[in-house]
Amino acid sequence: MNPPALRALIADSLTLWGVAGRVDIADLGVRITINDLVLHVTQAAPEEAPMRWWLISETRRRPAASMLGLLRSLRYALGATSAEPARARVAAPP
Amino acid sequence: MIPVSVITGFLGSGKTTLLSAVLRDPAYAGSAVIVNEWGDLGLDHELLETSEENLLGLANGCLCCATRGDLARTLIDLVARRKSGAVTYHRVLIETSGLADPAPILHTLLMDPTIAESHRVEAVVTVVDALLGAETIARHPEAAQQAMLADRLLLSKTDLAPDVAALEAQLAELNPGAPILRAVQGAIPPDMLFAAAARPEALQHWLDVTATQSARHSSGVETISILREDPIPGVVLPLFLEALAEHAGEKLLRIKGIIRVAEAPEKPAVLHGVRHVLHPIQWLEDWPSADRRSRLVLIGQGIPQWWPARLLEALEEEARA
Repeated sequence: MNPPALRALIADSLTLWGVAGRVDIADLGVRITINDLVLHVTQAAPEEAPMRWWLISETRRRPAASMLGLLRSLRYALGATSAEPARARVAAPP
Repeated sequence: MIPVSVITGFLGSGKTTLLSAVLRDPAYAGSAVIVNEWGDLGLDHELLETSEENLLGLANGCLCCATRGDLARTLIDLVARRKSGAVTYHRVLIETSGLADPAPILHTLLMDPTIAESHRVEAVVTVVDALLGAETIARHPEAAQQAMLADRLLLSKTDLAPDVAALEAQLAELNPGAPILRAVQGAIPPDMLFAAAARPEALQHWLDVTATQSARHSSGVETISILREDPIPGVVLPLFLEALAEHAGEKLLRIKGIIRVAEAPEKPAVLHGVRHVLHPIQWLEDWPSADRRSRLVLIGQGIPQWWPARLLEALEEEARA
């Protein structure tokens, strides 16, 4: 995923979560700035597989194996989770 | 599997009139009917059950996850009586109260394992008063919600309001894919409302029409469509749906789609969901038309227009890496 596509998805995700912030392309990923909080999202190196993404804050580097995991971690890091996040619930098969 | 359909519509819209007319059709006369406003019901039917409007909220407080315990009990009791031979029916029709949100009802039908093993959801038919519908929808969110979740919209009392163009435009904004039908005193072939809504061609039509309406409407409801020429890796579907539910679940009203899965491109996968509750993926034997592209349509409020497509693209890229 190239940095512009990553930036667009993260920026849309912030909007979806109701978080006002700024997303810029930086290094090999994006920089997310929300007031005083700065986070970086970078793509993992091939040798770090199965990890695909890193969410980096001043104090922590958190890996994610998929975009699903990255978005979950990012939302948590921003404190933008709802009290009880909705999970996909698939009805019982016939 | 016993087909079960939901007839909904705002107070006074003509649900009971429609139900009475439907039950006069020989093919529908043997239906079990569940209503929750039978105190003033002018319905004479042999197999009439009532269901209280009690909602049992779950701990997470999500309204659409509230289960209709009363409805589940009523249906389970009916099935037991049917098995014992005490009653005979081949279809269930549920008439909601005028202020009901159909989502918890659908949730109950889909999620209760005892009900799901013997019933399949056939259609949600929303009756809209041709005379008062526009004002009702504008003033009452419940009425708009009922229209948004419909598979079929039925304009009643069109003899009293011959000019329904504005109302039809309003309904098309809320639910562009649902065919808008008309009936006076419920006079319409019931198969047009119920059986036809469950056919693959109906999904195809819904997707075709709705996909052309990708826009934010004055009602605040957005229609977002995704079109894919290439098959989608099977592993992506659960990840995409999981992310959709987790991040946009409360903003998502409806999702429908027909997907060309890379591992089985000749058998399309059909997706149906109300909010973050999804029907089991249904596999069709063949495509309903020559168009074999994957199409997914989401109806929601507050979901950025390109977020679902960008998310899907990211997950596809990961699956192919």
